Amino acid sequence: MIAVFRHSLTRYIGQILGWGIALALLGIYGMLLYDTLVEPQAQQQFEQLISSYPPELMTFFGDMSQMFTPGGYLDTLFFSYIPIIVGIFVIISCAGLLAGDEEKGILDLILAHPISRVKLFYGRVGAFTIAVIAILFITWLGFVLPLPRTSMNATAWEFILPFLSLFSLLMFFGRLTILLSMLLPSQQWATMTSGLILVASYFLTSLARLSEKLKPIEKYFPMHYYQGGKALTDMNWGWFGLLFGFSVLFTLLALWLFERRDIRVSGEAGWHIAAFRGRKPVGSVNHS
Amino acid sequence: MNDETAIYAENLVKSYGRFEALHGVNLEVDPGEIFGFLGPNGAGKTTTIRCLLDLIRPNGGKVRVLGLDPQKDPVQVRSRTGYLPGELHIEDNMTVESTLHYLNSLRGNKADWNYIQHLAAQINLDLKTKVKNLSKGNKQKVGVIQALMHRPELLLLDEPTFGLDPLVQHEVLNLIAEARSGGATVFFSSHILSEVQEIADRVGIIRSGIVVEVAQTESLINRALRRAHIRFKQPVEVQSLANISGVSILSQSDNQNVTLQVEGDMDNLIKALATFPVLDFETEHPSLEEIFLAYYREDRSLL
Repeated sequence: MIAVFRHSLTRYIGQILGWGIALALLGIYGMLLYDTLVEPQAQQQFEQLISSYPPELMTFFGDMSQMFTPGGYLDTLFFSYIPIIVGIFVIISCAGLLAGDEEKGILDLILAHPISRVKLFYGRVGAFTIAVIAILFITWLGFVLPLPRTSMNATAWEFILPFLSLFSLLMFFGRLTILLSMLLPSQQWATMTSGLILVASYFLTSLARLSEKLKPIEKYFPMHYYQGGKALTDMNWGWFGLLFGFSVLFTLLALWLFERRDIRVSGEAGWHIAAFRGRKPVGSVNHS
Repeated sequence: MNDETAIYAENLVKSYGRFEALHGVNLEVDPGEIFGFLGPNGAGKTTTIRCLLDLIRPNGGKVRVLGLDPQKDPVQVRSRTGYLPGELHIEDNMTVESTLHYLNSLRGNKADWNYIQHLAAQINLDLKTKVKNLSKGNKQKVGVIQALMHRPELLLLDEPTFGLDPLVQHEVLNLIAEARSGGATVFFSSHILSEVQEIADRVGIIRSGIVVEVAQTESLINRALRRAHIRFKQPVEVQSLANISGVSILSQSDNQNVTLQVEGDMDNLIKALATFPVLDFETEHPSLEEIFLAYYREDRSLL
């Protein structure tokens, strides 16, 4: 498993550095801008600017009434929309994690080596998880390094909390995508389905701030349980646990399917539910 | 089946949805032999090999590889096996060397790097080249090396010489023979009949998901139809030869030259020819290709 883990992690180095540094720079820039924006005069001008935009647009950047609190500022600056951007990377990566290599035929060769499907699965999923943690860690550094130069009243530890909330949401969508890639006939289908749920969830949760009609269904979408910048001062560990719990459940289901399915090569995929067509229960095949 | 059997399959059935790829494959491969698995595209060669490695799960039947059940002990089976897929795909952005290092690490670094370099030198492969810059034939060479590098007990090779030029084909066949002399069993699929004829001890012919014939390569060739070209000293009544059991006239240019087809042994023909003024007598075994095509003609006639 170590060999698979190490190799898979190596494949992510470019993405870790690319995403991590880019997001960290965004964090540094935003943090250094904080003091300028919260000055009373600038605040007043900014409020006027915000009020000139339609609320249907501004709702996608978090709760604007909290814009000048540290949590609200972080939300608008970063955490309100970043799940969509990083989420797409997570979804594409997770769809390709096993199904991508399977469709390319690479898995056929790898699984002909003495490595069990369980170890291959955990090696790859583990490497992906570490890659996401590394990206978030570098980003976190970008936020906390300029912290002493700002008047923001928060500690480096408190800054971990919104990142944990983001991590739980990314894990939810990542693992959901892996599960879908085991159920659906191709990685493209998994990417599309998971991406659709992510975007729909983002839109619905954002618009629910404006529409009472959407409030009752909002809770059925994962984004509702993502706190973003608000976690800085009021982390809801129950919501974190819920998203994380679902990601664990999706992982176990995906593993269960992966262990039982045929490794596809081009032309074999179809709309068969993998769980019901792969390995027959022991007994129906003669094991004597 | 005995404990020594390298590969054993009994009534192996595999379906993809409604399509049944294997209808009940029966196979037995002895340790230390080179077994050629013949059949055209879609006959079930790759499906059979992938069942042996637990890459796909059969819908019925029994499989044993080196005495092990691939579904129960897949890791154990694969650690003792070398596999070359029919369509080899490897990560493009690595060098050949790093690819082989990675694949070797999946085997617990069991392979000896000197041996890998020896294999690479033998088939003329540069280990420093990036995989994405390799031709199809050179990629196939990487596949051959990774299958052989850990000196497996059993080699499962799906079209091992596919895409290789004749010189490298010859080298690969030499490596396969070398592996066998080192004690390995070789099970390889092919539709290049000449190479099967060249190195296989036994041949299995698979037709539409069923193994229709398993025989010693030599006996398969010997027991089948033969051609006899006869030249007589003077014109004779060649039609009388057609009355011999198992003999038919294929061509006759005049009453002094005739080509016959002989089914079964040659005894009756030779005895009959004793009464003729024979100037020259030449027999010819059909190639494996002709035998193979004969099986397919039979198949089509059944449809």
